[in-house]
Amino acid sequence: MIFAVLVPLLIACFIPLLSKMKHRIHTGIFVFFVPLAIFLYFVRYIGENFTPVRETVNWIPSMGINFDFYLDGLSLLFVLLISGIGALVVLYSIYYLDKQERLGQFYVYLLMFMTAMLGVVLSDNVFVLYTFWELTSISSFLLIGYWHFKERSRYGALKSMMITIFGGLSMLGGFVLLTVVTGTTSIQGMIDQTDTILNSSYLPLILILVLLGAFTKSAQFPFHIWLPDAMEAPTPVSAYLHSATMVKAGIFLVARFSPIFSTYEWFFIIVSLVGILTLCWASYMAVRQTDLKAILAFSTISQLGMIMAMLGFGTQAAVFAAVFHILSHATFKGSLFMIAGIIDHETGTRDIRKLGGLMTLMPISATLALFGTFSMAGVPLPFLNGFYSKELFFGSTLGLDGNILSQAIPYLAVLGSIFTFVYSMYFFFGVFTGPKKLDQLPKKPHEAPIGMHLSPIILVLGVIVIGIWPNLLNGSFLYHAASAVNPATTYYEVSFWHGFTYPPLLMSLAVVAVGTALYLTRRKWETVYGVLPGRLSLNKAYDGLMKRFDTYSDSLTNYYMTGSLKNYMAIILGATFLVTAGVMLYTGGFTISFDNLAEVTIIEVAIILAMIIAAVATIFINHNLAAVLVAGIVGYGVAMLFVIYRAPDLALTQFVVETITVALFLLCFYHLPKLRKRKESARSKWKNASIAISFGAMMTLIGISTHSSRWFDSISEYFLETSYKLGGGDNVVNVILVDMRGLDTLFEIAVLGIAALAIFSLIKWKKNKGEAD
Amino acid sequence: MSNLAVLPILIPLIAAITLVFFNGNVTVSRVLTRLFSLVSLGAALYIAWHAMENGTIILETGDWAAPYGIILVVDRLAALLIVTTNLVAAACAFYAPHAGLGKKEYYYFYPFFFFLITGVSGAFITGDIFNLFVFFEVLLMASYALIVLGGDKVQLRESIKYLLINLFSSMLFVTCIAFLYAVVGTLNMAHIAERVQEVDQQGILTTVGILFFFVFATKAALFPLYYWLPHSYIQPNPVISALFGALLTKVGIYSILRVFSLIFVHRLDITHELFIWIAILSMIFGVIGALSTNNIKLIIAYNIIPAIGFIIMGIGVFNQDALSGSVYYLVHDMIIKAALFLIVGAIAYVAGTSDLRKMGGLIHYYPALGWLLFIAAFVLAGIPPFSGFIGKLQLLQGAFGDGEIILAITALITSLLILYSIMKIFIRGFWGEKDETAGFGTKSVKGMIAPIAFLLALSVLLGVGAEFFYPIVASVAQSLLDPQIYIDSVLKE
Amino acid sequence: MEIITSILAGILFATAIYNILQKQFLRIIIGTTLLTHGAHIFIFTSGRLKTGQPPVLTEGVSDYTDPLPQALILTSIVISFGVTSLLLVLAYRTSEENNTDNMEELRGNEHE
Repeated sequence: MIFAVLVPLLIACFIPLLSKMKHRIHTGIFVFFVPLAIFLYFVRYIGENFTPVRETVNWIPSMGINFDFYLDGLSLLFVLLISGIGALVVLYSIYYLDKQERLGQFYVYLLMFMTAMLGVVLSDNVFVLYTFWELTSISSFLLIGYWHFKERSRYGALKSMMITIFGGLSMLGGFVLLTVVTGTTSIQGMIDQTDTILNSSYLPLILILVLLGAFTKSAQFPFHIWLPDAMEAPTPVSAYLHSATMVKAGIFLVARFSPIFSTYEWFFIIVSLVGILTLCWASYMAVRQTDLKAILAFSTISQLGMIMAMLGFGTQAAVFAAVFHILSHATFKGSLFMIAGIIDHETGTRDIRKLGGLMTLMPISATLALFGTFSMAGVPLPFLNGFYSKELFFGSTLGLDGNILSQAIPYLAVLGSIFTFVYSMYFFFGVFTGPKKLDQLPKKPHEAPIGMHLSPIILVLGVIVIGIWPNLLNGSFLYHAASAVNPATTYYEVSFWHGFTYPPLLMSLAVVAVGTALYLTRRKWETVYGVLPGRLSLNKAYDGLMKRFDTYSDSLTNYYMTGSLKNYMAIILGATFLVTAGVMLYTGGFTISFDNLAEVTIIEVAIILAMIIAAVATIFINHNLAAVLVAGIVGYGVAMLFVIYRAPDLALTQFVVETITVALFLLCFYHLPKLRKRKESARSKWKNASIAISFGAMMTLIGISTHSSRWFDSISEYFLETSYKLGGGDNVVNVILVDMRGLDTLFEIAVLGIAALAIFSLIKWKKNKGEAD
Repeated sequence: MSNLAVLPILIPLIAAITLVFFNGNVTVSRVLTRLFSLVSLGAALYIAWHAMENGTIILETGDWAAPYGIILVVDRLAALLIVTTNLVAAACAFYAPHAGLGKKEYYYFYPFFFFLITGVSGAFITGDIFNLFVFFEVLLMASYALIVLGGDKVQLRESIKYLLINLFSSMLFVTCIAFLYAVVGTLNMAHIAERVQEVDQQGILTTVGILFFFVFATKAALFPLYYWLPHSYIQPNPVISALFGALLTKVGIYSILRVFSLIFVHRLDITHELFIWIAILSMIFGVIGALSTNNIKLIIAYNIIPAIGFIIMGIGVFNQDALSGSVYYLVHDMIIKAALFLIVGAIAYVAGTSDLRKMGGLIHYYPALGWLLFIAAFVLAGIPPFSGFIGKLQLLQGAFGDGEIILAITALITSLLILYSIMKIFIRGFWGEKDETAGFGTKSVKGMIAPIAFLLALSVLLGVGAEFFYPIVASVAQSLLDPQIYIDSVLKE
Repeated sequence: MEIITSILAGILFATAIYNILQKQFLRIIIGTTLLTHGAHIFIFTSGRLKTGQPPVLTEGVSDYTDPLPQALILTSIVISFGVTSLLLVLAYRTSEENNTDNMEELRGNEHE
């Protein structure tokens, strides 16, 4: 099983080699066998007596992250969908994509996606699931941006990535919380601890975070906006990722976690409401589109909403209906995408306003589209699987207990389905009937090669077969999937006829009647789109948000990144002062003790006073030379203090260093242009002064406190004792410098050396530059 | 007791001094640089292996017993960081000759390079707080020298700001050491920790601790002290930026990690609570900075700040998961930041500009560079299975486990925006039509690709091979939570 | 006495900071030297200010001043000297290149 998941990725590594010979053989032909083999490998699990299979390969066991693959009914449904539709899409792409395209890259991304998607549906470990989940987003990003020379492709790719990775990260947050609460990383393990999760105070947060992941991936309102823009991808990608598989990952996630959340009231409310809203809104919006793929994109969104809603209901009937519809949707929507691709390929446009009357020119496509659209519309005919789906859906909306939401759901379901009916008709009749507008088409249309039709034909056959024998896969396949979502599910029998008074039938008939009427009169009511959404476009909201990221971040950053050292220093000092002083106050850090102080003598006080005066004077002296000299006084004052406090070595060093520094000062500033006097506003002076004084005061207070809190003897005692014995010197400071702390001294010399080299190169560089100019 | 501990500072020091004498000869300098970087890496790996196998390596320099002399301590944390430093250094050493240094190679570039490594390594392994200051000065002085190298107007302008702010924080650092010495009368960190544990009245110690934090936070570029960083880091050559981005701020954050797990752990409610808020603000403001610009180098420079935010986040939460997350993230970020600076350096080199608005379609000419950037974006954003994910996951587990919801959610949102800021470079710079008129594609990136690929391979390895690294990091976190381990290893020899 | 030296060091810090917050290079650098002095006085105070004997071992004397801070200050003086020299040369070069010695005219507007 693990091997099966990784096969596409492994094959992908060899694609660059294969694509070298693409001029003779289309790379897709090799690739086709990969999903086919996977499909055949997994199809053998179908059967009445299926039991879940588990397989584990360790990855990071110490963090609880392992390739823990768990194949139950739900996974099996998705695995077969991924590999089955995958094979058909690759087959279709062989005819759709020209050999001149960068086929190598295309198939690498596609295979990468296949591995990722298989991983998502098979992983029992939440973090491995997350890994694959992000990989689907990444490969989707690359596939949407496949024709990246187009501005729209880049836009769509970025948009899809931002929204789906946003969801992915939020889902990760949910997963982390789940592991924190349950202590396990296995989904099945979490299901076993449902009670713990339901009693956790984090429950609402977990639910929201996980659902955000599902809703963004499955393009639920209001996160659906990325999907229409994802249609910039080559059509096989749209059919595969953005209709049949990747967008169902969110559905899968909700289904997978249903056993945990289904008894939580908010799960029902949020998921049903979002699902049904998505259904209504997207089907309503689909009618307005003019691009064939955009119609299908909105249609996909609305169908996903419908499945999501059913998972929200969570009843046996609803879950079975959801599972049934996942399969139906894959068949009819996959075929319709391929037809849209064929039309695009053969006529050069997907704009429905330019198309019309293609029935006679493209009869095979027309026939296939007829089955696809009518199945999608849920027209009550006994050979369309879409009808059964729709009826099961209606059935599940009835009899939900309790609140206002449950009361409203059947009506909303009918409303959404009416628009579904309208856009289905619009799609079929708009393209294939009516007047021909051949002069508006970039290419002269004719029927596509049969190879291109192969895949849609197989899918439409699926539509019909399930339509005729709706229970064909129930016991062996769909039952297992449904019972993985709702363990209480029992075997479910689908039939066409329940009598005239069967409410779902009446709902279906109402959809057909009202839908037909709306379709015929749509020119008259199309103006409503000017009111709703009108200006309230979610796309504009997204664009505005992204733009604001740029402009606001720019203005905010420019606001504080002034480039002014003064500002930076003021902020650093201010922050340091506020927090440190605050902490000192809060902890009662200030202490003062007058014990054990050294005596105060006149001479010291005199020196110190002189230093203070000199230091303050540096501020007020305007003359630069004088300022340097006054600063020098402070330095010599320090040296004097060292003398008084019995530090002869220090005093000497300080005298020398101070002298050299002053000399350097004068040397450097001798060469400078005449310095202008700087005027400063009184306000700025006060600001600087208050920062300086408060910081200085704080340092003094800390200094006094530390001095008053001498709780330990210094290690110096040891130095005094051992200096001679072990260090061989009388001058303890020297012994410390060269022996006990010799490392300091070594690197102090290194610092000086680096400084010398740096100064040397600074000056020499200038000289050389001067010569070069 | 083992002399091994001195090698990580001795080899680069010898290298630096040797290279001073070969300054005029670029060919020899290049060969020697690569050679020394590999020797140093080899030594670091051996030391790390030794430390993992036989426990902390202690060296009492000059044979003066702790706590009186300066002690070098290579525990697992230090060993990890030494190895990472040397990996980054080796990649930079191999990249340097191709980086368009030009005349700078004649101006002691290579000696400064090794002095920088000396300072960084020393800061990681010293067990003495004043010695830490000295090593800070070594690395800072080398960084001043590198940042002004070949200075033009703009570079000099940014350098002087950089120098002044660092000078200020260095002086504050020395003062903090004085305050601490006055209270506890010792400089050895283990000894300080031991003495701090013994006293009841902690107010003044907490205050001094916070002051220490601000010193290190300035070096580590945390909110609101990072203003000096973005513009000064992008001025010098990409190799230098890579070294700075990978190493300098990390020394600051390492010091916070060390000091606030060993010494100042008595008032977690004040110190570590502060870290959490600073982490949140650093992430937000840092990533906003990264979004604000079209200069690709600046994008990467701003991205340093949220990364530091992630690391401080773990220190703030201060539990087993969060700390191992911090350590993992620290190692990860050193590698990926170096890689990213090298990548954007190469991009700016081939495009002749670092302005994103003047680029496009580079993938047609430099596919390898483009895909390396693409992978790097996901590594940086912490998308599995790369190294960033493991660290981030641990941090999230730690934060959620401690009920720090706002912190964790900020971290998640920041990850998304980090990804966006880098993908912008990929989408706008690499995607797009092949523009024959722009004159791209004339310069070669040969020689630049291999070091970048090496660093990225390490990132992938750190993620995919987490099973190998994680136990080490987890044990580091454990020892950080229990300062007694460190104290005993130094004082009870 | 220790209290007085602490106050002195605090005042040195304050004047240093005030100078650093000025615009002119020269003032800023004077500020950094004052800062260094302030820091050194703090270090010096951190050992007791005993007016005992200098820490040069002599027969019959048992009362010495604390040698360790002295050693630290020596190291620090040398390091700050290196930094200050570099700073001076850098300031000189910067003001020459940019033709100003006003920090506020060196903000730079490359942020974009």
